[in-house]
Amino acid sequence: MKPDALRGHLDALLLATLDGRQLHGYAIIEALQQGSGGALDLPTGTVYPALRRLERAGHVVSDWSTVGGRKRRTYKLTQAGQRALNAERSAWREFTTVIDGVLGGDGKWAQT
Amino acid sequence: MGTDLIERYVTDLGSRLQGSRRQVRDLLTETRDSLSDATEAHLGRGLDEETAQRRAVEEFGSVREIAGEYQAELAVAYGARTLMWLALVLPVMHAAWEMGRMYFIGPWQDFGGPVPSWYLWIAKANDMTSGISAGVALVALVLGRVVARRVDARVLARIAGATALVSVLLVVLGNVAILTATWGVDPQRLVQSLPMSIASFVTWAVIIRLGLLARRALSCATIVG
Repeated sequence: MKPDALRGHLDALLLATLDGRQLHGYAIIEALQQGSGGALDLPTGTVYPALRRLERAGHVVSDWSTVGGRKRRTYKLTQAGQRALNAERSAWREFTTVIDGVLGGDGKWAQT
Repeated sequence: MGTDLIERYVTDLGSRLQGSRRQVRDLLTETRDSLSDATEAHLGRGLDEETAQRRAVEEFGSVREIAGEYQAELAVAYGARTLMWLALVLPVMHAAWEMGRMYFIGPWQDFGGPVPSWYLWIAKANDMTSGISAGVALVALVLGRVVARRVDARVLARIAGATALVSVLLVVLGNVAILTATWGVDPQRLVQSLPMSIASFVTWAVIIRLGLLARRALSCATIVG
């Protein structure tokens, strides 16, 4: 999938990746890639500024902790982040329903 | 594990970043960790070390692109920190100075003669500049958080830096105006109290420090690629 198409959804993807768990940066990148079956083709370095942006918005909090014997910055959702994720999911479902009604139909638009 | 390629990448990235030293260090530490993790993952898939490192660096993104995104976030953070300092320090400094003035000098009206009305107007205007500047900084901080995900970080950083600089300039203008006016009405008043002369000196030192912070905030925002 092209990076430009992903950028607009990166915040929502990161919020979803952190849903119910606390992860460090590379674990988030791995989870994103695994979740997409390797289809997400985004420079991995862009994840860190996006995490900072989410932190600035109060949607995630970060903390330095020791993971696997190394000191890591780990991220988790805040309550505001959880609400933002729920809103993103609702908006996405609505969007895909509308688009699917047109693009994914049986061609009735072409027949009219 | 050799880290030549990774270290070169991190050093190159670091040389392009400007902002709070702690935040730059944190970002670079995360970058180094991420590249090391990616290298280990590639080694686990059977690549040799040099190829694994090269692959990790390529996947991370070009230094130019990543530095631009990092710098935008660093600039926003620096701008927000400067606005926070303005919102906190200006009201405290003004309140402390006013309390000192009332104790060591007394009300502005006690000049031993009639004070021109324009002088009182300047004194009142100067009293308001700290509150206005702190208020503007506070509103900018709150709005910045509300629109954090909707407005581009580069734009936010520039607005934060410019707001901080204008706020400090407003305080400078107020202080210069009251000093000039006092010089015109009664120059003795500027030096009649040693404690308040020291307080004035400290006030100017703090204003200059805040001005330097604001200038750096704007500088961090304008070097974003």
